[in-house]
Amino acid sequence: MSQVFDKLLDARGLNCPMPLVNARKEIGKLDLGQVLKVVATDRGSVADFQGWAKVAKNVELVGQETESAEGANVYVHYVKRTA
Amino acid sequence: MAELLNHDVWTAGDLLSRLERRDKFFVLDVRNRDEFERFRLEGRSPVPAVNVPYFEMLELGGKDDMLDSVVAYVERDLADQLPSDLPILAVCAKGDTSEFVAQGLSCLGYASANLNGGMKTWGEYYATRAVVEAPDLAIYQVGRPARGCLSYMVASAGKAIVIDPLRHLHPYLGLARESSLTIEAVIDTHGHADHISGGVALATATGASYYLHPYDAIHPIDVLPATIPYEFIRDGQTFPLGRHELEALHIPGHTLGLVAFRIDDRYLFTGDSIFIRSIARPDLGGKAETWAPLHHRSLRRLLDLPGEITVLPGHFSSLDEADETGRFAALLNDLKKRNDGLVVLQRESEEGFVRYLLESLPKFIPEYVDIKRVNAGLLTPAEEDAATLELGKNVCALSQAYAISEGVRR
Repeated sequence: MSQVFDKLLDARGLNCPMPLVNARKEIGKLDLGQVLKVVATDRGSVADFQGWAKVAKNVELVGQETESAEGANVYVHYVKRTA
Repeated sequence: MAELLNHDVWTAGDLLSRLERRDKFFVLDVRNRDEFERFRLEGRSPVPAVNVPYFEMLELGGKDDMLDSVVAYVERDLADQLPSDLPILAVCAKGDTSEFVAQGLSCLGYASANLNGGMKTWGEYYATRAVVEAPDLAIYQVGRPARGCLSYMVASAGKAIVIDPLRHLHPYLGLARESSLTIEAVIDTHGHADHISGGVALATATGASYYLHPYDAIHPIDVLPATIPYEFIRDGQTFPLGRHELEALHIPGHTLGLVAFRIDDRYLFTGDSIFIRSIARPDLGGKAETWAPLHHRSLRRLLDLPGEITVLPGHFSSLDEADETGRFAALLNDLKKRNDGLVVLQRESEEGFVRYLLESLPKFIPEYVDIKRVNAGLLTPAEEDAATLELGKNVCALSQAYAISEGVRR
């Protein structure tokens, strides 16, 4: 099940907090209603994106997926700009 | 971006020394709230702490850059909660994000430090202390201070037996190398629920045999046999070691196959039966009512041992249980007077003691069922999952053991 998105942010190989810091910057560049797809290898990003979406007034977490590629997990987050 | 300013970096070893010395410092923990609740820094004395997840600092600080957000957030929203006269230790899961936090605090004039490697490194830190180090007998207590897990390497005449090795093998292999010891046997006192055993892996790495009581080679909840290779331990069996021997005492209660080991009338490795402040819980196999009377009988058996025997437990619940040298050890006679569970045991009938046990059960930890599966070879987690399963302090003792640290949290 793949979500529709408008922009892709590759945060693979980045440690906490960079996937979230970079996603936050990218969201600011999107139009209202657009969706950013973030691909990360940091497992902690799953809970962190959930927590961030609750605090941030301008984003909604519209989906999360875990994909396994060659034994390594990739964590995918879909974030929509709402304000 | 603000300039990189000087802040301190504490290793896990530095942190342990400070906790043992009761140094005063304050913790700013930037993990998620549930991670913070499940696994906190605890010392001999309470460690004051505040928890603000880093994504809240980032969002509410409102800057593009993490460091700038930390500075803005702390200055505006957190300054009134931070002491100005104590060092502030920034803590996160792996030590990268807390680096920004320590830097930000330093920019604002606080004496700050970063916990190197974060709670992951602290949780996997090992401390080794010699309980006795004589030419004919050495006993090393190898512990994970953050988890409250204790294991032992017993050595005599160049040979060693390892009791309850924990998940990482480097402390045992390192000690064997440094002291020119050959590890001849690896023993688990029981099938552990709170941590992943290093037993089979250590036996494989050293060519030693791995021993377990057969009752604990059946997962108590799945009722499935273990797939790991092991040799049986039976009650009264002796394991020769140089000029000494370890004698097995089958003491079911915490598990059905729990075994304690004694060296003469000098040392008693109690596994999960008698700890320093408290005793083990009987419910982790899901059969508390059935196992509690067994636990009672087994503890009585241990109480009948000579009072001058030194108890070396499998766990502690608080660093405060250590003696002044940081070792978790006490004479049985001494524990009869100050161990909560043993005091009740000596006072009550079997019925009264069973009631006490059942009324003192801490919350059941769901992960413990899976950890027992891992230890029986019924489940094989990836490294990251293994670390997550083990996260936090063990909860193998009755609830009284935690009352003190719980009490100060509020």
